Amino acid sequence: MIHFDGVSKRFGAPGGPASGRVDALADVSLEIPPGGVWGVVGPNGAGKTTLFGLLLGFIHPTTGTVRIRGLEPRRYVRRHGAAYLPERFRLPGEWRVRTALRALARLEGLDRAAAARRVDALIERMGLTAYADREVRTLSRGLNQRLGLAQALLAERELVVLDEPTEGLDPLWRVRFRAIVAELRDAGRTVLIASHDLAEVERLASRVVLLEAGRLRSVIEMDAPPGSAGATYRLELAASVPELAEVFPDAEPIEGDAPAAYRVVVADAAELSRRLAALLEAGAVVASVQPLLEPLEARVRRELGAEGDA
Amino acid sequence: MSALALAALELRARRRRVLALLAFAGVFLAAALTARLMVSRGEGGHVEMDRLFEVGGYPLVSALLLLGWILGRYPLVATLVMLAGVASHDRVEGYARLYAVRPTSPHRIYAARAALLAAAAFVISAALLPVFDLIMLGTWAGPATFVLILAYVIVYGGMVALLSVWTRGDAWIALLLALLSLVWDALLRADALAIPPGVRDVITFVLPPQAAFLELEGAFGALQPIPWDAFAYVAGYGVVLWLLAAASLGRREV
Repeated sequence: MIHFDGVSKRFGAPGGPASGRVDALADVSLEIPPGGVWGVVGPNGAGKTTLFGLLLGFIHPTTGTVRIRGLEPRRYVRRHGAAYLPERFRLPGEWRVRTALRALARLEGLDRAAAARRVDALIERMGLTAYADREVRTLSRGLNQRLGLAQALLAERELVVLDEPTEGLDPLWRVRFRAIVAELRDAGRTVLIASHDLAEVERLASRVVLLEAGRLRSVIEMDAPPGSAGATYRLELAASVPELAEVFPDAEPIEGDAPAAYRVVVADAAELSRRLAALLEAGAVVASVQPLLEPLEARVRRELGAEGDA
Repeated sequence: MSALALAALELRARRRRVLALLAFAGVFLAAALTARLMVSRGEGGHVEMDRLFEVGGYPLVSALLLLGWILGRYPLVATLVMLAGVASHDRVEGYARLYAVRPTSPHRIYAARAALLAAAAFVISAALLPVFDLIMLGTWAGPATFVLILAYVIVYGGMVALLSVWTRGDAWIALLLALLSLVWDALLRADALAIPPGVRDVITFVLPPQAAFLELEGAFGALQPIPWDAFAYVAGYGVVLWLLAAASLGRREV
């Protein structure tokens, strides 16, 4: 659905002094299929917001091309629209919550009545009912962020881009935000979330784009959750047995762990049970079986080196 | 039109500017009323300068002449104040990105906004100028008043809109160009420019059409017939600026 092909973005006048030029993104090639939740992480200045700016057509690439469903981003957005929450969301302070949302809903192409219905539903969902007729400037940071989410969800868009969406949200609203993202994912939307909160990205995303100093370092496939296809487990035996290689041909010893600790990958929980039964039948003594999930933070640190601060 | 709802909100956000313009207009009206109270009407029904001189000497007459000169430029001030930051403010504050992701053309959004703000500048000016004339002169310039205001709104509205697409100092630069065109025109009339005629003509063509504005102001001040050829030139200049602003808007990064 989304194609970045050798995309670079340099800020600063082309003929200006070299000291004023910044390579915000350099030679990024990336393909994002439709549907699913993608995280975008990286240290400050890695190029996350620039990546989103290019994706939504706010800025033009210096070199390379960006396409969404084969269209240049501005053309795609003009035709289909996109849901977007900027990193530091704000609206003019004099605007009132309900009227501001209604005006933005009209830009989404909704008629007056549909806009009013949609806005009222979103105000209720985002817990803004008590603040609906207040000026935006009177909202706290968390309320403002909820207003930002509300404006992003005014229309049902295929492409959803959220930059630091949980910034300022309290724990309860973080949980609710996760539910919203799950709904978007289940509805087949393509959701991109940039965040410094790796634990949050880990909960939400199935793949994570790691940027550093404007370059794409890697695309991290998140571990499959326990019980699902491709889930990884830590299997510890009381002592190593030769039958292990037959029952779990792909078992890998975990370095620095117990002497008979292995990493095993199975298709599902039923297969894990069958193989464990075969192992026990062969006389092995199983000390423990645990889901093996490497935290995103550890993987990002490994990619960036110990200094990395995503 | 969906963009109108947003434009109406923008007008609300700029209500302090409207109040400031109304207060500025109040200064003119207060001065006119004071002059009227200080001296009685002359035979022509207007405030007599000779009587003013007797009451306050040169300072009072000079003050009133200056006031009249500034009044002629009130539509310019109103246009600059109302349209300042018409596009650049959104870019600086990040609002432009919130609009850019909606399936509505930015041309519709900003055309509706610019039209509403320009209309506000027109209405405020159109309310002040005739009232001032009625107090001071006992009559008013008729449609020439509205033609003069419209000329300022078209030219300087277009200029601020074009500059606003590219820079945040839009209204200040437009004011600078307005002052530059005043000085340039004065130097031209005094034949005090020692530069080649070709260069002189190009600069005169590029700068705001001050000579044509003077013709329109003359008709307004001296209650003369409207010089439609001057208005056509001014309007053409302004329309080109609006078209350039529209063409730039689609290309500008936000």
